[in-house]
Amino acid sequence: MLELQNLSSGYGDALVLRDFSCRFENGQVTALMGRNGMGKTTLLKTIMGLIKAKSGSVMFNGQALEKSPPHLISRAGIGYVPQGREIFEDFSVQENLRLGLLGHDPNTALPLDRIYDWFPILKERADQRAGTFSGGQQQILAIARALIGGPKMLLLDEPTEGIQPSIVHDIGLQLARIARETGLGILIVEQNVDMVRTLANQVLFMENGEIRESCDIEVVRRNDALLHRYLSV
Amino acid sequence: MSELIPIILDASSYILILVLVALGLMIVFGMMGVINMAHGELFMIGAYVMVLAQDLGLPFLAGVLLAPVVVAFFGLLIETALIRHIYHRPLDTILATWGLSIALKQLVVLTFGPESHSVTLPIDGSLEMGAFSYPVYRLVLMLASILLICGTFWLFTRTDFGLMARAVIARPATASALGIDTRRLYRWSFVIGTALAGLAGALVAPIISVDPQMGLGYLVPGFLSILVGGAGPLAGVLAGGAVIGGVNNLLSVWISPVAALITVYIIAILIIRLKPEGLLGGRRAK
Repeated sequence: MLELQNLSSGYGDALVLRDFSCRFENGQVTALMGRNGMGKTTLLKTIMGLIKAKSGSVMFNGQALEKSPPHLISRAGIGYVPQGREIFEDFSVQENLRLGLLGHDPNTALPLDRIYDWFPILKERADQRAGTFSGGQQQILAIARALIGGPKMLLLDEPTEGIQPSIVHDIGLQLARIARETGLGILIVEQNVDMVRTLANQVLFMENGEIRESCDIEVVRRNDALLHRYLSV
Repeated sequence: MSELIPIILDASSYILILVLVALGLMIVFGMMGVINMAHGELFMIGAYVMVLAQDLGLPFLAGVLLAPVVVAFFGLLIETALIRHIYHRPLDTILATWGLSIALKQLVVLTFGPESHSVTLPIDGSLEMGAFSYPVYRLVLMLASILLICGTFWLFTRTDFGLMARAVIARPATASALGIDTRRLYRWSFVIGTALAGLAGALVAPIISVDPQMGLGYLVPGFLSILVGGAGPLAGVLAGGAVIGGVNNLLSVWISPVAALITVYIIAILIIRLKPEGLLGGRRAK
């Protein structure tokens, strides 16, 4: 379980998150929605240790992480797929995956075959330079790279940004399958309604660094009012 | 034709020595982007370890092994005490390491005196090739340089350490979020760079005069080679070394050392002006 308590964080003197508290159960797939600039990316980066929390706590399965550097947070079992994918363009697909593996205990990491089974395209193109991939393929690689370390919780920051709709749907289905098969918890920051409907069990709507509404995915599936209010779609 | 052979050999030897000296810089400056003005002094300390080893009656090989270890230790101290606090502040890095270079020079003056020392050639003798002869140690040095170039290339392009180091340099935040300890990778890349400077100093010591001012003379062409060649692992430093070293050496022989230096700088300025990323690229705008 990932539990955030009174978390405050931001850039320089400007606080983006103020006394943010929230709990994410193991195996739960939560979508975090909201307009741009509402603190969604800041929240993920703060959990990951990429932005130091000013105050508050981040507990993950009983381990306090708010003072840990990112590599130890990753090793504690939180995987991260950054906005814009951030794959290593000059490296081959296989090298990108290997980088996801090297920082982790080989006993808890996933075997490469499992990753290739989920994402066959990565096996077909293992030796190809990652920079030659399309946006969707790069996104798949970024997700696979985060999964190979064997995380118990995966943070995804706008994985559908700039990707064609058919691939968005495939990625959503595949992630839902992985979450079902492995019990992986997912916290996904997303603006794409199709992705959220495909993947999430629960939706949180965020505004000005706070959670304004939390509801089951069925509620979002049945009526669009919430989406209109928080995303203006 | 036969009169060309010594000229070509001499130029190759000069280029390979330049690349040998620039290898450590390739890691620290080319890849990590740290402008370490004290790199030449680390090279100097490597040479002085060799002087010390000789004074103590140790065999040449012991000096060769000892120099990179001693200089790596200096590198570790410098990284921990100085560089790690200023990785992303280039101007501060230049000032701090420039100060460090002065301190290291004075340390050597106080310990060994201001005069120059010499290291005896470990292999005396020349290889006779028809009408001319060539010192065997220079050939050994060329071979050692080639081996070290290959070894460094292997380390950074074929091993897990190299893969992680390149990843950390390209995208530090992403690499750390993947579980890679970026502090450790930066530290050891820097230390390997300094160890290579020390090793280069020890290997080159027998063919030069070892004095406290020797560092600068190698630092400048080393930096130039990387600026001209580009920052990618290895290929850039080879290309840059070949241009800078080749032009300098050949023109020194054919015209004069002064004309050679002027030409080298003009070529370097032109290349840096027309191709800011270096001949082979690899340096990204930061």
